[in-house]
Amino acid sequence: MGLGVSIGGMWMNVLIGRLAQLLPTLWGVVTVVFLLLHMVPGDPVEALLGESAMPADREALRQALHLDQPLWSQYQAYCLGVMHGDWGVSLIDGRPVLEHIAGRAPATMILAAAALLLAMLLALPLGYVAARHAGGKADRFAMAFALAGVSVPNFWLGPMLMLVFAVELGWFPVSGMDEPASMVLPAITLGTAMAAMLSRMMRSAWLEAMHGGSCRTARAFGASEWRLWWRDAARLAAMPVVTMLGLQLGSLLAGAVITEAVFDWPGLGLLTLEAIQRRDYPLVQGCVLVIALFYIAANLLADLLVAWLDPRVRRA
Amino acid sequence: MRSALPWLFPPLGFVILALVQGQDANVVDLDRVWAGPDTLHWMGCDDLGRDVLARLARGIMLSLGIGMGVVAASGLIGIVLGLLSGWKGGWLDALIMRMADIVLAFPGMLLAIALAAMLGPGVDNLILALTVVGWVGFARLARVQVQALHHAPFVEAGIAAGMGPAHLAWRHLLPNIAAPVLVEASFGLANVMIGEAGLSFLGLGVQPPDPSLGSMIREGARVMLVHPWLVVWPGLALFSLVMAVNLMGDALRDRLDVQGRSG
Repeated sequence: MGLGVSIGGMWMNVLIGRLAQLLPTLWGVVTVVFLLLHMVPGDPVEALLGESAMPADREALRQALHLDQPLWSQYQAYCLGVMHGDWGVSLIDGRPVLEHIAGRAPATMILAAAALLLAMLLALPLGYVAARHAGGKADRFAMAFALAGVSVPNFWLGPMLMLVFAVELGWFPVSGMDEPASMVLPAITLGTAMAAMLSRMMRSAWLEAMHGGSCRTARAFGASEWRLWWRDAARLAAMPVVTMLGLQLGSLLAGAVITEAVFDWPGLGLLTLEAIQRRDYPLVQGCVLVIALFYIAANLLADLLVAWLDPRVRRA
Repeated sequence: MRSALPWLFPPLGFVILALVQGQDANVVDLDRVWAGPDTLHWMGCDDLGRDVLARLARGIMLSLGIGMGVVAASGLIGIVLGLLSGWKGGWLDALIMRMADIVLAFPGMLLAIALAAMLGPGVDNLILALTVVGWVGFARLARVQVQALHHAPFVEAGIAAGMGPAHLAWRHLLPNIAAPVLVEASFGLANVMIGEAGLSFLGLGVQPPDPSLGSMIREGARVMLVHPWLVVWPGLALFSLVMAVNLMGDALRDRLDVQGRSG
């Protein structure tokens, strides 16, 4: 079999396998999001309008939320709606939920991308230095930073950064999204935990790769240290790191909810919180669903990337 | 284990000082709004004239209490489901693992926020939301461990000797999965404490007048330009608590020689 054919073949297998696994997950996610509305204790209509509402208003809202129908047909309608891009309308202003989400998604994507970039720029040198000097002073320092990074709550880190760098030093704006510099503090707040986890992961993956058979063989054949670390080992170490990156992107998106609240950053996270505060249930459901979908897509991407990095898959 | 000790000093210090000082955490005194430290209130008062040190200590105890409660509940549920899943296999295994997959398809904190928001704020719902997210790690861990033990000689000997499933689980399975479970529990505790404080920060967790480190951070951040210490102290307490628990987890993992969870 030719090389090209086998690459394509393995690729398609991985892709199809993952997509098939994805279907039940997607279905489960949509079901959970549908059930969220029914977790509101008592009657959601009552919770929204209060006890003094007019009966006609109640009936109208009940119909808008489809609560007048049996649970099963509500569920069917919801699943069909989600698939057809009809995610319901906001109870506050009557605009489609998807319109709200589309308006706010770019801000979150920019923030997440900046945080991700920052995390990688921090984690790569930290992970490398820690692995290269494993057991030494630099290792201990890098890992102490990493531990502090996973332990510091971002809803405290944010205000502290704001206090020092925006208020005391005046280097960055306090909040909002008006100029490029306003991105720095939110990105640090959001990216720190990820940088910390990534550097721990990189250290262990790199060390494991260096002790593996292929690197030992390469060293025996006289490969330079530089080549060993940055070509042979880095390639092996990249696989667990990429998987981790996909998994951590979810925490990044969830962390965006808190970070956006701290910095008044007009993204999906802030939209979710506003919807929660206004009890705009369809909008809450939409926000949760879209973040979960992003998360699933990121994991899929990471899996495919790992399959592509893995020479056993590529050259099978 | 020794490296975790210094990090326990700040939270422990706050709690001991508060005990010595002997003020009530929830007493409102509008004459003392944002008062500075004095002999009665060693760390001053907040926006309602409540004693900051007492609230800090109460918040630390609540954070630890809720954290341990959630870890215990999700550990119990997760281990039982994981044992069933790994031991019985078949449709039960498939069902439990699909449930786990669905929980894992959401970023954990997002699912906790959504559940807490829909169920309504309060400690009960907070614990419920964090447990729904937390059991999965324990279940997957217990399942993998039990599958590995299924054909271990001492387990087969137990079956041959006529041990019942409960007896077998208690005598042979649980003691053998205890080490990784303990490690998972300590990292879980760190996550849950951050989760609790995060939900309380968003107003979805512990409700006023009770203090949580998270809600204290939120209230402090509002006035941090004038009274920066009100946001510094609760964050410092939470950070050092989580640091201590994470270090303990690291030490346990190394000592018990448990693989994985490097992140």
